[in-house]
Amino acid sequence: MANDVAVLGRSTHVRGRITGAASVEIAGRVDGEVDITGDVVIETTGLIGANVSGRRVVVRGAVKGDLTGTESITLEDGAKVVGDVRAPRIAISQGALLRGFVQTAGGGNAPRAKAHSTSAARPAIPAARTSAAQLDQKRSHAEKPAAKSAPAKIAAKPATKAHKAPPPPVVHALKKGAKATRRVGVLAGGKH
Amino acid sequence: MASTVIGAGITIDGEITTDEDVVVEGTIRGKLTAKESITIEAGAVVEADVVSGPLTVAGSLTGNITSSDRVDLQGGAKVIGNVKATRITIADGAQFKGNVDMDV
Repeated sequence: MANDVAVLGRSTHVRGRITGAASVEIAGRVDGEVDITGDVVIETTGLIGANVSGRRVVVRGAVKGDLTGTESITLEDGAKVVGDVRAPRIAISQGALLRGFVQTAGGGNAPRAKAHSTSAARPAIPAARTSAAQLDQKRSHAEKPAAKSAPAKIAAKPATKAHKAPPPPVVHALKKGAKATRRVGVLAGGKH
Repeated sequence: MASTVIGAGITIDGEITTDEDVVVEGTIRGKLTAKESITIEAGAVVEADVVSGPLTVAGSLTGNITSSDRVDLQGGAKVIGNVKATRITIADGAQFKGNVDMDV
């Protein structure tokens, strides 16, 4: 192992900044900025909760923060990155997960605000999709039950009426009505 | 072989916690806690409280040392701080300023 290589084992937890000129292999957890002028390798067990910058950055683990490579960034299978990725050359392998702004060579400095606005706007898209889907569902629900319920009510009312309507000839309805009228009449008579 | 190496040229400002052996060749400021052995190589600069198993110092260490095992200050080591350990060796040529507490 060369002298200018730092290795953070899988059970190692660093809370703070890591800086320097050497290369770093991280298989543990780092809650703090990693600012290295050498190469940075984040192993599959690596977990970083802050920005990472290095010359060549290889990610096989998880990073929640921005990645900056002065030479290149490689997201390999198993990488999980939530944050912006900037480097002259960027490779994203199959199996790597990324959510963030990506910028490769050339095109000057992407304004942070823009990146944030895009990242801020990003959640809106699924939200819009879901809301659209929900709206569609609501529409369909609204239309279908409306179509069903409204006629059902309409149908129900005439049906009840229709049910009530036939009874009149039947004695029950007459009895009820007759009792009511009698009671009403009695009550009314009593009141009066 | 140690599974955590803080190589020369690396600076860590903050707290390091690990269950593994640690070899420090670079610079650490803050706190260093390891269940296993810590080796501070010549040329390394540690300005931190150190909690460890066996500790070997050949570089510069400023801070209090608490070891569950032995502490070896090798020739060329420069240690400023209190040492609490079950055993301690101070080699010829090691610089040391601080209290020693060997609780028996």
